[in-house]
Amino acid sequence: MNGMLFDIKEGAIHDGPGLRQTVFLKGCAMRCAWCHNPEGLSRMPELMVSPNGCAKCGRCRDVCPMGADMIGFGKPPGCVACGKCVSACPQRIRKIAGEEISPEALAARLNENAGYYAGTGGGVTFSGGEPLLQAAFVLETLPLLNPSTHKALETSGYGDEEDFLRLMQAFDLIMFDLKSMDDVTHIRYTGVSNRTILGNARRLCGGDTPFVIRIPVIPGVNDNDGHYRAVAELIKDAPKLLRVEFLPYHQTAGAKYGMLQLPYKPGFDQNRSIYVNQEIFTRMGIRSYVL
Amino acid sequence: MTDRINRLRKYFITDKAHREFRFLPRNEFELAQEFSRLGLSDVRRAAERLKAMLAAEEPLILPLERIVFTRRNPTVFSIFTKQELAHLQKTCRIHEHGEVCNINVDYTRLLSCGLLAKKNELLARRAAFIKGGEAEKAEYLTLETEILDSVQALSDRYRNKAAAEGRTDIAATLARVPKYAPRTFPEALQMFRILHFTMWLGGNYHNTVGRLDQYLYPYYQRDIAAGRLTKETTLEWLEEFFITFNRDSDLYPGMQQGDNGQSVMLGGLNPDGTSSYNELSELCLNASLELSLIDPKINLRVSKKTPLEVYILGTRLTKQGLGFPQYANDDVVIPALLAYGYDEKDAYQYVVAACWEFIIPGAGMDVPNIDAVSLALAAQRAVTDHLEDAEDFPALMEAVRRNIAEQSLACVEKTKKLYLFPAPFLSLMMEGCMETGRDVSLGCRYNNYGFHGTGIATATDSLAAVRKYVYGDRSVGKRELLSALADNYAGHEDLLAKLRFDAPKMGNNDPEADDIAVALLDAFADSLEGRHNDRGGIFRAGTGTAMYYLWHSAVLPATADGRKSGEVIAANYSPSIFTRTRGPVSILQSFSKPHLQRVCNGGPLTLELHDTLFRSEEAIGKVALLVKSFIDMGGHQLQLNAINRDTLYAAQKRPQEYRNLIVRVWGWSGYFVELDKEYQDHIIKRMELSL
Repeated sequence: MNGMLFDIKEGAIHDGPGLRQTVFLKGCAMRCAWCHNPEGLSRMPELMVSPNGCAKCGRCRDVCPMGADMIGFGKPPGCVACGKCVSACPQRIRKIAGEEISPEALAARLNENAGYYAGTGGGVTFSGGEPLLQAAFVLETLPLLNPSTHKALETSGYGDEEDFLRLMQAFDLIMFDLKSMDDVTHIRYTGVSNRTILGNARRLCGGDTPFVIRIPVIPGVNDNDGHYRAVAELIKDAPKLLRVEFLPYHQTAGAKYGMLQLPYKPGFDQNRSIYVNQEIFTRMGIRSYVL
Repeated sequence: MTDRINRLRKYFITDKAHREFRFLPRNEFELAQEFSRLGLSDVRRAAERLKAMLAAEEPLILPLERIVFTRRNPTVFSIFTKQELAHLQKTCRIHEHGEVCNINVDYTRLLSCGLLAKKNELLARRAAFIKGGEAEKAEYLTLETEILDSVQALSDRYRNKAAAEGRTDIAATLARVPKYAPRTFPEALQMFRILHFTMWLGGNYHNTVGRLDQYLYPYYQRDIAAGRLTKETTLEWLEEFFITFNRDSDLYPGMQQGDNGQSVMLGGLNPDGTSSYNELSELCLNASLELSLIDPKINLRVSKKTPLEVYILGTRLTKQGLGFPQYANDDVVIPALLAYGYDEKDAYQYVVAACWEFIIPGAGMDVPNIDAVSLALAAQRAVTDHLEDAEDFPALMEAVRRNIAEQSLACVEKTKKLYLFPAPFLSLMMEGCMETGRDVSLGCRYNNYGFHGTGIATATDSLAAVRKYVYGDRSVGKRELLSALADNYAGHEDLLAKLRFDAPKMGNNDPEADDIAVALLDAFADSLEGRHNDRGGIFRAGTGTAMYYLWHSAVLPATADGRKSGEVIAANYSPSIFTRTRGPVSILQSFSKPHLQRVCNGGPLTLELHDTLFRSEEAIGKVALLVKSFIDMGGHQLQLNAINRDTLYAAQKRPQEYRNLIVRVWGWSGYFVELDKEYQDHIIKRMELSL
């Protein structure tokens, strides 16, 4: 089964041990208000247009099968990402986010530098989007990777329970997000209930795969002791828990929305300073880091 | 950092309060007029100038300091009049300002014995020369003794002043040094300061520091063993010492503010394979880390054997945003130097010149930056002159090779009749000068010249595009490309985009580009193989550019990589600024492929990393892994910058708020707001990678 990805980043340093190649899979069912990879939301390829450098030459309009006028900046309503304007643009400010790829082709690409990454104690990380939604593709790819490759998964935990269990067993490390323990808040800011996620989190806590819990720290949304305490309570007895990582909200999160002609209206005060409390975790014997 | 160091740093660096004691500038030619009238020899002039400079200094002892000597006279006198300089320019090859520069003297030649013993030795040798009827050599040694007397006289004035002001510790140190050899680490630092201060006074510049952690180590070891010093007190001494390099540096000649060439080289392999990295090396790194000052500039010798911890400490220093340490790989550089003909014991002693060129302490009068070959122009000319006739790509490459060889030969010709102004004080610390009564400006044991090679990425990318599109898929016609180049791509926007953005690029670990880079650098090395200069030395090809990349950019017509005329090529050994790189790993892989041992004059790969990458200790460890991987893959030299483009833009708009923002420019770091806008813009355009 083929997969759909939007990027492979080399030399990633925040996605697991050592230096890593991170595969970003496209498509996610959640709609987190702070998402900084908006091109990872839709499962379909999309046109992205950089806001800088347009010479207003009109080539994009000339080749657009929809006859849309896109001079200046932008993509036509109903754009099907045919890609004609991408190669027509002399400034190369357009690109298609979304590449369909077979497990064999992806593995071949990753294996090219497997030795280099293994030498740094690193490997490959699957991220997204939400890799759980492409579990079959991921599971087909993993056995094709060079045996020296350390395999990590970054997931929101929002996906099918069976898929989650299979992935959990296939990876060396899971990095699992806990965005809000309060379901009302969770629904409000991510668009979905946290019930499935907490179910998978409990499976993770009871499993044999080493894992890290990640908390995106969003000002005024989840940066409070109530959330931190609830997370700590959930994971405190998990034998395979390595640590908790706080990921402070970045003001640059909205940078890519314009390129997709999407509005960025996060619905919280981006300028508020964030509150982190590592003490709650320390007291329960859980190591935590701020990234 | 101790409170005293903090206050010294504030006094000298932030407030620059010591500058109020400076005298008014004088006419730099006032001595030369007199020298010319008297018809003095050049050696005599150099000695008289230095003596006059030493005599013009008056002692200044500042609050809290323990290491003294601060410049007061801002003017370095010229030894030649304007007319004489113009005549010299016409009749000889004059390098930069004409003074001996960019070498690493062996400070131990004076530190080990003190000035008095050296003077006595000079007098004995002088007597022998007189006996042998060698009057000129005897005269030369006389001048050297006079210089030593002047240095001692200024030191005595400092000592008296210290005593008069009740600064008994300083007076006691100056009672010992420089007259006698230092016994302790602090005495050695004070003596070094006096020597270095004198070198700058003598008009010499890019006065490198060299292997500080090696030649000062015995003093450190003795003081630690005797309980006179601890690691903490040593750090404090080192920090004060490092501040001294920044006191007068605004008076030092260079290409831009900050271009002082006060390079330190730390660590390195010994001939028996052991490491010389010691406690003092680590203390030097920590002193630089705490002070965050642009001088001295820290270089670190590493190899496959270097543990990750050393890279981690280095990366913490990189985080400070000073643009150093710069790493040099012993596994590549030492074999390269051996192949160039350096003796084994010297090769293992290598240091860097002001920027990155590999030189030998105390024995090298190499001029490693004497000229530069434009690899980009060699490729550009081959395309415009030979594309039509070249039946296949190898034929075109042959034309590129010929062009490189032609340029190299022209540069070789231009090196003839090099005339350097005499440097009698520096000569005291260079092998064989005193023994033969011969000034180092005339040569030393090693007299090799180095050529930079600019535009490797532009040349590579241009040829890769031609190979792929003209000879490969034939999607671009020869005529089409030539007319686009002739029109500077006006009206050829589609072709421009294809060449600039879609073609293979060096830095993406793409063999379609990288094997051309290998061939180009081999051709550059071949072009100098077996040639000798008129001082008996060889020519070394290198991957640095210094400021040549700007000069060569300015005269480079449109190139086949989609670069328009006037657009700048990359500095040093770096990807083109058009390259949309896959990431740092690909860059490191690409740039470690060429046969770097053959082009080892020096010239680092430069990586610009976003400053947020250094936020946590864990992230620093990862960046250290990245650095280590380049060395392990056989890269020769690497320099990293922690940079944030938004900060640079802000600094351009509001320079007054960013006075202390330090950036790496080419082989050195300087204050961003003090740079010409041209350089500022280029730094902003350089690639910035986030991982």
